[in-house]
Amino acid sequence: MSVVERFAPADFEPALIERRVQALSRPSLSYWQDAVRRLRGNWRATASLGVVIGLVAFALAGPWLWRVDPSVQDLDQLSLGPALPSTARIVEPSVPWAGVTTEPTQSGVAVTNLRLAAPATTQTVRLVWEPVIDAAGYAIYRNIYDPGSERTLGLPIGDVLGANRASYEDQLDLDPRRYWYSVVAVDANLAEQTEYTTLAVDAVRAVSPEEAVARGWAQNAAALGVGDTITLPFHPLGTDYLGRDMLARLMYGARVSLFIGVVAPVLFVLIGIVYGSIAGFVGGRLDQMLMRFAEFVIALPFLLFMILFKIAFGIGPGESGVIPMLVALVILGWPATARLVRGQILQIRQEGYVSASQLLGARTGYLIFRHMIPNTLGVILVTLTFAVPSAIFTEAFLSFIGMGVAPPTPSWGSMANEGVRTMLSHPHELIFPAVFISVAVLAFNLLGDGLRDALDVRMRGRE
Amino acid sequence: MTGSPVLDAPAVLDVADLHVEFDTYGGVVQAVRGASFSVHAGKTLAIVGESGCGKSVSVQSIMGLIPMPPGRITRGTALLDGVDIIRQKIVNGQDVRGNRVGMIFQDPMSALNPTMRVGDQIAETLQVHRGYSKRKAFDRAVEVLTLTNIPEAEKRARQYPFAFSGGMLQRAMIAIAIACEPAVLIADEPTTALDVTIQAQILDLLKALQARNGMAIVLITHDLGVVARMADEVAVMYAGEIVEKGSVDDVFYRAAHPYTLGLKAAMPSSTTSKSEGLRPIEGTPPDLFAPPTGCGYFARCPHAMRLCGPSHPFRFDVDPGHEALCWLHHPDAPATAPELHRRGQA
Amino acid sequence: MTALLDARGVTKHFRIARGQTVHAVDDVSLTIAEREIVGLVGESGSGKSTFGKTLVGLHAKTAGEVYLEGERLPDRYKPADFQRHARRMQMIFQDPYSSLNPRMTVGEIIGEGVRLQPDSNRVAIREQVDGWLERVGLERGHAARYPHELSGGQRQRVGIARALILKPKFVVCDEPISALDVSVQAQIVRLLGELKASMGLTMLFIAHDLSMVRYLSDRMAVMYLGSLVEIGPSEEVYATPLHPYTQMLVASNPEPDPRSERERATVPITGEIASPINVGVGCRFASRCPHVMDVCRSVTPELRTPVNAEPTRRVACHLYEAQDPPSA
Repeated sequence: MSVVERFAPADFEPALIERRVQALSRPSLSYWQDAVRRLRGNWRATASLGVVIGLVAFALAGPWLWRVDPSVQDLDQLSLGPALPSTARIVEPSVPWAGVTTEPTQSGVAVTNLRLAAPATTQTVRLVWEPVIDAAGYAIYRNIYDPGSERTLGLPIGDVLGANRASYEDQLDLDPRRYWYSVVAVDANLAEQTEYTTLAVDAVRAVSPEEAVARGWAQNAAALGVGDTITLPFHPLGTDYLGRDMLARLMYGARVSLFIGVVAPVLFVLIGIVYGSIAGFVGGRLDQMLMRFAEFVIALPFLLFMILFKIAFGIGPGESGVIPMLVALVILGWPATARLVRGQILQIRQEGYVSASQLLGARTGYLIFRHMIPNTLGVILVTLTFAVPSAIFTEAFLSFIGMGVAPPTPSWGSMANEGVRTMLSHPHELIFPAVFISVAVLAFNLLGDGLRDALDVRMRGRE
Repeated sequence: MTGSPVLDAPAVLDVADLHVEFDTYGGVVQAVRGASFSVHAGKTLAIVGESGCGKSVSVQSIMGLIPMPPGRITRGTALLDGVDIIRQKIVNGQDVRGNRVGMIFQDPMSALNPTMRVGDQIAETLQVHRGYSKRKAFDRAVEVLTLTNIPEAEKRARQYPFAFSGGMLQRAMIAIAIACEPAVLIADEPTTALDVTIQAQILDLLKALQARNGMAIVLITHDLGVVARMADEVAVMYAGEIVEKGSVDDVFYRAAHPYTLGLKAAMPSSTTSKSEGLRPIEGTPPDLFAPPTGCGYFARCPHAMRLCGPSHPFRFDVDPGHEALCWLHHPDAPATAPELHRRGQA
Repeated sequence: MTALLDARGVTKHFRIARGQTVHAVDDVSLTIAEREIVGLVGESGSGKSTFGKTLVGLHAKTAGEVYLEGERLPDRYKPADFQRHARRMQMIFQDPYSSLNPRMTVGEIIGEGVRLQPDSNRVAIREQVDGWLERVGLERGHAARYPHELSGGQRQRVGIARALILKPKFVVCDEPISALDVSVQAQIVRLLGELKASMGLTMLFIAHDLSMVRYLSDRMAVMYLGSLVEIGPSEEVYATPLHPYTQMLVASNPEPDPRSERERATVPITGEIASPINVGVGCRFASRCPHVMDVCRSVTPELRTPVNAEPTRRVACHLYEAQDPPSA
């Protein structure tokens, strides 16, 4: 062994006593602070928490910011998909049109120069064409698809008799969309020619000032001039099959769904805590009896019970059906929590600190509330966070099958139910409520996961 | 069986300069900071220290039982028959674990699979490492179980762990560990959870098996009494380092490190008189997030010198085969601490 | 010295199923004099912890009486009983990890006993808590910390402060050091010794570490499967154990002394502890005893002083002839 370093004699003096440093290096964290720290580190949980807060804000503040009545029907925009606001042009009230007659100079089987006499609006579409000599009359068809070469001409909207007739006015139920008009010449026997002429027409929404006021799009007819453009009510997420604004319905539906989804679990968790604590703490016969009853309640068939409950308590006209559903959920939901809390209490009862407290003279109530319940809070909180998405989904499911809230009260589930009918043609009516249900359930579940991870480990503080 | 280690025979397991660290939320913990030890055939090395000193982590990391994030072996080798088993667990197509190296743990209940019969668990290791058939392996398992002095081994082998008591479970775990006649048996606090009479039986059993198989034993413990009973060589660990190493008589009767002295003074023995009393070591072990640059024992050492704080002590040879990590053995150090054994003393 | 604590025939059975009774403690009688430390040793299943808890009232007695300073204690405690006796009798618990409420600060834990007493005021509590923190070797700053931030030894100190703040006369220490590290054990034992001396405490020290019990206690009592098998001055019991079980215990106890370990004569240690369910008559150790005789299986031995032995030593074993009729 060779000593490379050389030390001075002073180095070998006894060291001073102040070297004793036993400060705790990490800052003091209570159970909850530590849990919050862990939660923050879990990005899924924090994101979910953000989503949950967003949903709650959506439900509470939404209707205040987006003041649209969810039950008002906008008949002009039924089943509208999410779109930017539509506009309408102000025009003169429609007057009857005399039409155009021209002596045919051409021969042939199909008309030519099929064109519009005036810009096409939803009020009227005026067609003119160059007639042919050999025709006895003309049949006019209208289709929402291009007939192409297959001769799918669509809806027969009218005939005109006489070779010199060269115009037609269509005022039949016009929507602001593209139509394909086809004119077919008819011979003396009223048989149609095989050849036809087609014109694609885009009808623009137009109303007279009086109509605009009647439909609630404007206040004052006198203030509107011909050629003005007015905006129709805006439905950012579209409308449902009855013309009700989707966004407003979703917001009110959120209120219903979240109300039931949060309040029901809170209530039945509270009941479960009281019930389970008593059973766990007192033990013995009482515990047995209480638990047998709880098991009986668990054994009740859920769906059947909900239906019976609804029938028994009924929902009168004008009632929303929220309270009966809430009550039913609470009645069926408490036993699970009671069992859980009882198990926790039984376990904690054996812990040293409970015995120590007893020995120091603590009374039963003090032991339960000061020692036992606080140590079960972690479990309870996690239970609660998982009970919420379950309740939301249950409510949605029940409303979906028609056993939930009564129309017209919106709830995401009932909205989904209505949306199924138009699933293929107007999918947005189903997609929006379904997405909201899924997001809410997912967010609460992830939050519950995160909470459980954050709270679980710290039950025993081994560093 | 006194004193000097056998330096001419090669060590069965030779660990050199082992460094292990962990990532935790508070930072990086340096659990093992340079541990070197070796054990020879037919001999027992006891690694003794308190909880948190790194003794369990050392052997577990060598065996690959520490999850490697968040753990990390940053330096060191562990030579088993010349092969570094830290880098390479498979030697000659066989995993050395369970085969050349057996391991038993503190809690037998959690080390055994509650859904498998005990005999099958012993047989499993024979099937995997020796390629025995199921029947042959089970028969051999019963034989091994008999070796551990379990009464009615044949019947017991067909039972499940829940039917076994604590002591019997430990015997079952030993049976699994020695089934393939390993060269080294690592026992990580094997008797800490057992009653003292059962502990005595288990320790005697280990000794008997060692005499029979010639296997080396690495025994991790915090109990000096167990060390005195079982060990041939002793390594004392503190704050992630081996602070003293030598034969069992060297360490007990010629302790050369203040921590070893402190440990002995803190444990009651039949010679501890009530008037003298136990002399506990004041304070607590250092925080391994920011391990001290100097001697790890500095804050608690009653004989600390000025240089002990900033300068990390060298490893001094006190006697042949007996070394200590302490500045008091520096030739210029004063002769304080008369109870500390120094080089050349009788 | 007067007997501070007098336990007579204390029995605790647990009925786990129909017809199945666990005899955790069977007819244990023990007197502890003032300022004495009696150590109670035994292995797992011996019933020593149950006995300790029954003494202080955490378990209701199946049979037997306990007298504290001559006053008979209730058989079954109600919260009011606990409060009345809280200032006289306390317990230090085993597992420092589970004996402190993880949701309370150290200050709240220590002060709880005082707060629960009817006549307490906030300022005084604060001062008392601070005083006790220092007295058990912690710092004032620790009062705001939570148990999970403390080491095992520090937690045990908190447990000690909590038990002693009401200045009881009698303390049952239920394995207070088993869960601690070796060097920390010595710190706690020394602390207990100091407090015992300064407060004049009487203690029942329950442990399974023979060496520690021998060091700390004046007298040592050995329990096996619910009954007391031997009792006497610690040094003597350790040096010359009379009961075969005690002999087995002492023989198994490793000493930190290699030479003596090498030379130690091994006592054959056989078998494992029997089941405490529905224990019948006869000596409970009969199934494992190397010196078992026929009478051992049919007659339960009583705790008596053997012939030619000091009256302070008593053994429950048929190997020894009784010196005189058993004392009450």
